[in-house]
Amino acid sequence: MRGLVAVLLAIMTGLFCLVITYLPKIGSADTAPNQHVTPVYIARSAEDTGSPNIVTGVIIDYRGFDTMWETSVMFLAGVTTVLVLTSNTMGRKPEKDGEEGEVIK
Amino acid sequence: MKEPFGGLILNVAFRLLVPFTIVYAIYVLCLGEYSPGGGFQAGAVLSVGVLLSRLILGENAKFNVLGKTSVVLAGVGTFIYAFTGWLTLFGGAKFFLDYNYMPIHMEPQHEMHALGIFLIEIGVAICVMMTIINLLDAIVKRGADNGDVE
Amino acid sequence: MQIYIIEAILLIFLIAITCAVIFCKDILSAAIIYSGFSFTAVLLYLMMGSPDVAFTEAVIGSISTVFFVASLKTIDRWCK
Repeated sequence: MRGLVAVLLAIMTGLFCLVITYLPKIGSADTAPNQHVTPVYIARSAEDTGSPNIVTGVIIDYRGFDTMWETSVMFLAGVTTVLVLTSNTMGRKPEKDGEEGEVIK
Repeated sequence: MKEPFGGLILNVAFRLLVPFTIVYAIYVLCLGEYSPGGGFQAGAVLSVGVLLSRLILGENAKFNVLGKTSVVLAGVGTFIYAFTGWLTLFGGAKFFLDYNYMPIHMEPQHEMHALGIFLIEIGVAICVMMTIINLLDAIVKRGADNGDVE
Repeated sequence: MQIYIIEAILLIFLIAITCAVIFCKDILSAAIIYSGFSFTAVLLYLMMGSPDVAFTEAVIGSISTVFFVASLKTIDRWCK
């Protein structure tokens, strides 16, 4: 079984090394993602969004709804981490008696 | 980080660093449209300022966020973002965050876009800064409660 | 597909730093070495032409080192 897995891994690695030369260059203009929507952003970003930085225009203006949920996911992750870290039951030494746990002090 | 640590040299060096950190964060926030930067980076740099001033002066630092305020403000930052979207909806937009329908009217239309982008970046900056301070508070409080490792 | 020689050196350095972090017995020095990882990542991002990501990585790398060192108070410094 283990030998079979090793042979399969070797075959897949060889195929990967064979195929990887046919990938397009980094930043090449002929690939599909660079031909579909990127020219529109580059051409119309300055007059549509009023910001000279195309990255800001795409992130906050064209895809603002996406970024909103990104921000709220980060807020929820932070609050959850704080709740887990300050809870009294998770792997702590026993508290002194008569001391109620506070969420954040 | 209840009590400060470090000697004279660290104190003086960090004291010099903190105002420049704050000014740089404001610069990144306001001019994020023109240069690399934006809300997330500005919030992170601001939280570095808070962290440094806590290292110097402990709990008595002037530029500091204490207690539950940071949790509340993190929620407020997220709310500012969402509220900007609601503002555009109240103005009659067809979809969320369509800045052409901001309630304040300005003549070249992309000025309204710039205003909306600025509001949103303020919200993101507050949220990021307060979340990082939250995490620091939680880690430090856990360390203080557990005491020394045997 | 071309890879510049300095980019290859930085990538190998990245792998070496990761191995050093894994095999380090002292957790404090592992946290410090890990900040070198984020600095190398900053150089790589700059070389690929994305200053936005490089800026974020620099700030978050410096903050996360402080977090790691602060959380060392709850655990033992040496792993046996």
